[in-house]
Amino acid sequence: MNPTNPTIDLLERYLQAIGQSLPAATREDVLNELRANLTAQIDDRAEELGRPLTEPELAAILKAHGRPEIVATRYLPQRSLIGPTIFPFYLLTMRRVLPFVVAIYFIANFVKIAATQHGLSSVAGGLVDSAFGIIPVLFVWLGVMTILFAILERTYDKFGKEWCLDEWNPAKLPPVKPQGDKKQRSLANRIADLAFHCLWMAYIIEVPRHPYLLFGPGASFIARLQIGWAPVWHTFYVALWFLLLIQLGIKIANLFPAIGRFSTPLDLVSKWFGIVVAGWLASAGTYIVATGPGADLHKLAVVNHWMGISFKLVVAFMILDLGMEAWKYVRPRLPTARLAF
Amino acid sequence: MDITSNPSSESQIFDSLRLELRRGCLIVAVLAQLRVEHYGYTLRKALADQGLAIEESTLYPLLRRLETQGLLTSQWREEDKRNKRFYKLSSEGELILTQLLAEWNSINDSVNNILQNSVLQTPSQR
Repeated sequence: MNPTNPTIDLLERYLQAIGQSLPAATREDVLNELRANLTAQIDDRAEELGRPLTEPELAAILKAHGRPEIVATRYLPQRSLIGPTIFPFYLLTMRRVLPFVVAIYFIANFVKIAATQHGLSSVAGGLVDSAFGIIPVLFVWLGVMTILFAILERTYDKFGKEWCLDEWNPAKLPPVKPQGDKKQRSLANRIADLAFHCLWMAYIIEVPRHPYLLFGPGASFIARLQIGWAPVWHTFYVALWFLLLIQLGIKIANLFPAIGRFSTPLDLVSKWFGIVVAGWLASAGTYIVATGPGADLHKLAVVNHWMGISFKLVVAFMILDLGMEAWKYVRPRLPTARLAF
Repeated sequence: MDITSNPSSESQIFDSLRLELRRGCLIVAVLAQLRVEHYGYTLRKALADQGLAIEESTLYPLLRRLETQGLLTSQWREEDKRNKRFYKLSSEGELILTQLLAEWNSINDSVNNILQNSVLQTPSQR
């Protein structure tokens, strides 16, 4: 076909554009039918006007008929990567698995940092790298999960009946959760919490003067080894006191219901400060030093190394705990998506 | 959110619900209209003349889908020196249409009953 009439040319260009998005098997048939229908419409309009259509008039008819790519899409079978039957299971799995992926990633990274990095700057650098490193990990995980569920979607028609997605037992549903964010603790409980915290502070005051409070009968044995605390502990002791004072303030504030609603954010802040203190301690490297010529320096170095790793692991768990607590606090406050029809 | 304070949101919700409501009705109308043979354009005109306007880009693919489901038959034939694809309700389509009409009438009756009852109940509730 070699159209010379500009209106026919426009129609053919429109049909060609539709054809580009149609499968080869049905393309000609669909285009012939569309051509017949559109030509009949053009003829009708021309008959109404008593003259052939101008190019803008034809363009208006084609525009009303729809954008070529969208028209072509309507001739294709409805497609979705994950359909409405599988999608709720996809969403549920993603929500359940996400915390484990994040936890495993950070634990693995912190163990790696603890074993390989030394010094405050290298530990801090490793932590920052880990924080940014999770982004590509999450993208890969999201991609893999989506591909797996897309495969399930494709195979659902064939094997879906065997998966028994519709089979469920109401009796196996979890029990109803208590209403509200968190049940308010009783006043007696909060007073007891404050009292134990005061006792804990008194214990911390006495430990430097009475080492047996920390080591028990082993304190005299340690004294004979000619080893002592490194200077880092003196600074740590001051920081620990500062942290305990913050916690004391929070526990006193918890006694008053008006302030009590800020207890979780204040707890989170104190946990964050605890992480800073523990992180600083973990990066120190030397915890026990020789106090006399009889100390075994090689063993001392090994003990210091493993104490450093232990502190780094503690920091990792503290960060994980803070993350989980922060998520628990933030999650109910996130805007929920509106239900769609 | 109070939708009554937001006309565009109200209009969006109405359009969405109207689309849902029309979707099933259009199929019934198309099947019923195709008891008499039509090709795409004349079918669209016939439906529009009876107050049921439907976009070409919705109707033409719908005809093909209904044919694939076996509810319509089609054949290419020359009319006014042009080849056109004519559609007609198949025997299976007639059966399905009868069932759909029964369902449609039943829904219609139920909705009418609900509306009548709600009109009767409204004054006493005030």
